[in-house]
Amino acid sequence: MSATISAPGQSRQRILDRIRLATQSVAQSAPQLAETCEALPRAYIRHGALPSQARIALMIERLREYDAEVVESTPAALPSVIAAQLAASGKHIFVVPPALPAEWLAKGFDWKIDNNLTTAEIELAEGVVTAASCGVADSGTIVLHHSPAESRRVLTLLPDWHLCILRASQVVETLPEYFDRCQQQPTLATTISGPSATADIEMTRIKGVHGPRFLHVILVRDEI
Amino acid sequence: MTHAAANHPVLDPVFAPPFPQAALPVLRNPQLRKNVAHAIDVIQAKRAKLVAEKTDWKELRSAASAIRAHALENLGAYLEEFETRCTAAGGTVHWAADAAEARQIILDILRQENASDVIKIKTMTSAEIQLNPFLQAAGVNVFETDLAEIILQLGEEEPSHIVVPALHINRSQVREIFARRMGLKDLSDDPHALTAAARAYLRQKFLTIPTAISGANFLIAETGGVAVVESEGNGRMCLTLPRTMITLAGIEKVLPRFKDLEVMLQVLARSATGERMNPYNSLWTGVSHGDGPQRFHVVLLDNGRSSILSKPTERQTLKCIRCAACMNSCPVYRQTGGHAYGSVYPGPIGAILTPQLMQMHHAQSLPFASSLCGACYEVCPVKINIPEVLLELRSQVVNQERKDLARFFDPMYLGLRIANLLFAKAWLFHSAQFLGRIGIGFFTRKDGWIHALPSVGGKWTQTRDLRGFPKQTFHEWWASRGPAPGPALSKEAR
Repeated sequence: MSATISAPGQSRQRILDRIRLATQSVAQSAPQLAETCEALPRAYIRHGALPSQARIALMIERLREYDAEVVESTPAALPSVIAAQLAASGKHIFVVPPALPAEWLAKGFDWKIDNNLTTAEIELAEGVVTAASCGVADSGTIVLHHSPAESRRVLTLLPDWHLCILRASQVVETLPEYFDRCQQQPTLATTISGPSATADIEMTRIKGVHGPRFLHVILVRDEI
Repeated sequence: MTHAAANHPVLDPVFAPPFPQAALPVLRNPQLRKNVAHAIDVIQAKRAKLVAEKTDWKELRSAASAIRAHALENLGAYLEEFETRCTAAGGTVHWAADAAEARQIILDILRQENASDVIKIKTMTSAEIQLNPFLQAAGVNVFETDLAEIILQLGEEEPSHIVVPALHINRSQVREIFARRMGLKDLSDDPHALTAAARAYLRQKFLTIPTAISGANFLIAETGGVAVVESEGNGRMCLTLPRTMITLAGIEKVLPRFKDLEVMLQVLARSATGERMNPYNSLWTGVSHGDGPQRFHVVLLDNGRSSILSKPTERQTLKCIRCAACMNSCPVYRQTGGHAYGSVYPGPIGAILTPQLMQMHHAQSLPFASSLCGACYEVCPVKINIPEVLLELRSQVVNQERKDLARFFDPMYLGLRIANLLFAKAWLFHSAQFLGRIGIGFFTRKDGWIHALPSVGGKWTQTRDLRGFPKQTFHEWWASRGPAPGPALSKEAR
């Protein structure tokens, strides 16, 4: 154990002192600060103008642009649509978060329910099925807050195939609308915009580096 | 030193040669210039398309700029708020005044963890503090996990761009590096195959190495959360699988509120990679029971930033969100690539950030590595007026040099002092013009241009031609032009 760092707290004070000195002229109290922050110019588009159908159509279009597979379903048909997607994937071993509705777990597949599965067990799975928190149509983004139906972060990461169930009522048009929907700030959030990708070699987009190579989305038309 | 520099770029501003000298190896390497130009052409085109489709781009940019400026004006308060929230959520916040302290804090954490290996998410801040060589020397094996960073690490190359650091290396060069270092003799140069090789190479490391280091794109004061923006999923791997996570972040990275991400994420993805949104964004707050690392450290790094903060014109440098749009749009970067800047931060932002991080003791040539065309300012999503800062830094460099006695007889300064005298009196100016026209006539070719000047004048003509003196000065022409055309012209104009 080396102990070459100057006493802890010493640098903290030094840095904060230097910052205070540098910004002295505009130092503000907490309520003032909140007020100034609130008054910052935010003239960008908060709310989208698209009608419901067009918003969902945009979400689907943008997801497909990222090479995600999208199918639509009515709420009633969802279990059978899920089963069809699973069957078409050619995979058998799936991990799922503990709070997924039981009717989503179609018969004939090997379901591993995540009650503290080890990383090795998750790594053995070929696919994962989860719910989601929100969809942002403008950028084709899916937001996970990692609730018990959306799984721990690792579940949507190791398996090569991710099936995400997104309800139309969860889809907003713009990113600011998502932030408006957050009643409280999530402690964990992952946004997914298409499958894992890289363009590090000659700017050629390659699908699937470390995260799932295949992203499938079922859009449940729960809006009238 | 110079010999080594000619063959291998030096990205330590303390030792790097001046920009004009460091740029030569690239200017003489057509392959390298082709690689750089191709990459930035692709990103530029994608960016332009996606910015154009955003009808509220102007407003987003204004908001992003205002949020960053506001965060900096109140940096002390927001950092303390971040520290309080992050600590309450189970994180440990460390403060590092300089690079050496940050390195030592990180090493001490690794020692406490008995970590012999560490996996890393791409972080330019760690390159700034030269963390990898330090940890390697201390016996810790460092594994970069971003594809570009693996290419650089295995190829013993240096980053030349802050978003796509290996853009100067083409597929056949990557193939050669991977084949050699991963022992894959039959590897093809298809980017799919190369990417698959990287995936296989790293998979076991992700699953077994329990300690990781990341940077941060944003620190959220309101929640104590940290956001990392990425494409490949290597970031998510490092943020999810290990037991311990160490995040190194510059003190300027703080945003006031969670909601501010609604602006930042929109402008960052479009500016950086020309995507509506990058594949993955991760946000975490301290430690989450049963999900991800159970020990979490944040190292807040000053390393010269508080000094930049204290200067009114230069402060805006710290608004930077590291999107690299400025280097992609820069006509100088396009020709020289990143290595010429002698810093891990190249391009226009590097030209202003690097000398300031060096407290103007090194990298003084960088503020001059620009044509001041302003393209960088135009594309900057947080409206950093880079030309303005460049000019400010140029004047500081000139003031440093002027105070240097050895420079008193430097031909340029001598010339400028003489010019100062000549311009002060009209008769002196006219006489100088008269004599100058005779003198310069000897160097003016038939085409009316001066292609080469002797002595100190050669510094100008080395890189550009100079127009010869006209037959008449403006004053002479004005005096000789005869009576003004008068009302006839104004009637015509109507």
